[in-house]
Amino acid sequence: MDGPIAVARRLNQKRVTKDGSAVDGWRAANARRIVTIILAGCGLAACLALDVATGPAMLPIGAVISALTGSSSDPMLNAIVWSLRLPIALMAIAVGASLGISGAVMQTILNNPLASSYTLGISAGAGFGAALVILFGAALPLPEIWSIPIAAFAFAGVACALVAGVGRMRGATPELLVLAGIACLFLFQALLSLLQFLASPEALQQIVFWLFGSLLRASLGKVAIVSLVLAIVLPMLLADAWRLTALQLGDERAGALGVRVRSLRLRAFVVVSLLTGAAVAFVGTIGFIGLVAPHIARMLVGEDQRHLLPASAVFGALLLSAASVASKLIIPGTVFPIGIVTALIGVPFFGWLVFATGRRR
Amino acid sequence: MSSLPGRHRGAALTRRHALALPFLAALPRAARAAPQSITDAVGRVVTLKAPLERIVTIFSYEELTAIGGPAVWDRVVGIGRKQWAGYRAANWARYRAAIPRLDELADVGIADDKSFSVERTLSLRPDLLIVHEFAFRSMAPLMEQIQAVGVPILVIDYNAQDPAKTVASTLALGAVAGMPDRARALADLYQDRMRDIAARVTGKPAPCVYIEIGSAGAGTFGNTYNNVMWGRMIEAAGGTNIAKDNIPIGWAPMAPEAVLAGAPDFVFILGSSWTNMPNAVRAGYDYDLETARRSLAPYAERPGWSALPAIRAGELHVIETGLARSLPDWIATQYIAKQLNPGAFADVDPVESLRKYHETFLPIRFEGTWMARLRSPGA
Repeated sequence: MDGPIAVARRLNQKRVTKDGSAVDGWRAANARRIVTIILAGCGLAACLALDVATGPAMLPIGAVISALTGSSSDPMLNAIVWSLRLPIALMAIAVGASLGISGAVMQTILNNPLASSYTLGISAGAGFGAALVILFGAALPLPEIWSIPIAAFAFAGVACALVAGVGRMRGATPELLVLAGIACLFLFQALLSLLQFLASPEALQQIVFWLFGSLLRASLGKVAIVSLVLAIVLPMLLADAWRLTALQLGDERAGALGVRVRSLRLRAFVVVSLLTGAAVAFVGTIGFIGLVAPHIARMLVGEDQRHLLPASAVFGALLLSAASVASKLIIPGTVFPIGIVTALIGVPFFGWLVFATGRRR
Repeated sequence: MSSLPGRHRGAALTRRHALALPFLAALPRAARAAPQSITDAVGRVVTLKAPLERIVTIFSYEELTAIGGPAVWDRVVGIGRKQWAGYRAANWARYRAAIPRLDELADVGIADDKSFSVERTLSLRPDLLIVHEFAFRSMAPLMEQIQAVGVPILVIDYNAQDPAKTVASTLALGAVAGMPDRARALADLYQDRMRDIAARVTGKPAPCVYIEIGSAGAGTFGNTYNNVMWGRMIEAAGGTNIAKDNIPIGWAPMAPEAVLAGAPDFVFILGSSWTNMPNAVRAGYDYDLETARRSLAPYAERPGWSALPAIRAGELHVIETGLARSLPDWIATQYIAKQLNPGAFADVDPVESLRKYHETFLPIRFEGTWMARLRSPGA
């Protein structure tokens, strides 16, 4: 793997200091990136604490701490902290991280800044799967609380397989894959609309509820599942980090460097499908994170996948966690829908970042 | 209110009775001091704590008031405020004047706009949560969170326009309010009136009926109903619903040309006291007959409508939309039935029924326009 390493180093040449050697500059840049990720991680920890500390019940902070430390015998207080706030706060992080990583991988393997699990129809596939079970799942032997996420997960996979299937065709370029993803988005949106048209008003409302991204359905068990998928997938991706970085040079050059482009792309697709499916299955469609978190990460730590992947995870988690806190603070006593908040605070932040980094260059 | 119970015939009728029986049998005579188990509208057995002191409810507030009287609100700590103050502002203004405590109740959010908060609900330490069937189903994961903490949930369902569910909901609310006799009286009244309507329309011709919500005004074809809400009420009133073959089960707008082709003999437009809807048809407590009629008039001018049998015969009516999905929905059914078969309902006065319902069961005065024809007959 000497080739890709050398290339990745060259990709980072901008960071070479004037007087030091290239390698020293590279090390300094790496250290700076790691510090950036650690700082974002600290911000994330603060958000997590705020997320657990705030809520429409307006509990005093002392009460929350006593519930957290297990010294409270008030069942209602314990239920609010342990069954509601903690799962929601942790789910925001797990889902945000999953969507951030899946967006980063998508943008990398398709070499397209607009790629994300949302824009390429994977979330739409999950929504279709959920709607299918809401409408016709009464016959299934599983309770809806599990059959809906399983179907959502499965159809996220179907959507991914459709796009990857195109990728296996001869001469499929990243552009063609993106087109296939967008076609996939429209296909599943149309199918979803069809189901909504056929649905009874009650089922329709249930579908709309599901599609409307929300962390409120979280439980510690669901958090564990999403985290488990994340824990399995992240090392797999990091093992491919150099190859993914080399892919930034284009398929031909990456191939010349010894990267088996097609199998890498397919492998990455499977991984993205797992990640997105697990995240979306439990919280519905939250679109913005997967698109923007990787861009924020890229601006701050660069293209090197060893940094980009963890940074995308941290920024995805940070965005969703901050949105979760904000959704409770906008109108005290009520919870504002998270999907709205995510975009409303994410877009200005993103805009500021684009503006600020643009000026620096 | 008119009596004349009439003959109880017809397969549909007996099936409805059979459906109602298990619900009726399952309900023990209420005793407020001891915990009791009741069966709710979806057949779940709910054990109520006794006495109930901290109820949270997010739907059918006016039904709860009718069944429990104003005093029941002393034991309520939270509501979904928007469902009442937002969606039925004219009603809310009157009820909060009659029951000042309503203003102090915590707001836990509602199902429709996804604002319902489990945390806010639990923080009120409720001993019972009352939800409607739609909320129970569409927010299933949230309902599980609440039940996991040991807060019982009672499901009511007036939306289905299914007499068995209306009766079960009413008796369940009666048990909650500690007013089983009043609930029984209301349930009996409901069943008796519905049976009476069924008996009167049996064997009569079934004219074509079109019903449409008038929230956006005559320029927009609003939703009509098939086999739910007003769709069911048309059939209970002995009419043929022209939407039946034109929209899926549920509610949706019908194509304008399909309405013309359907050639309805009667048209009912639903009005209310919607806010920020300048073209809406007006009905309810706040509007006199003149205002209601003025807002209804543009419907007669819709393209092609002058040729409709209903318009030619002067059978364009306004009904207050809130009369569906309610305990007194039999009164709206009675009104529709009376227009379709005036001879069979000569001794029935639906507006008087509604006035009497207010006087007997509600803490507020009946006023305004609830059910009316565009022009008086002969005018």
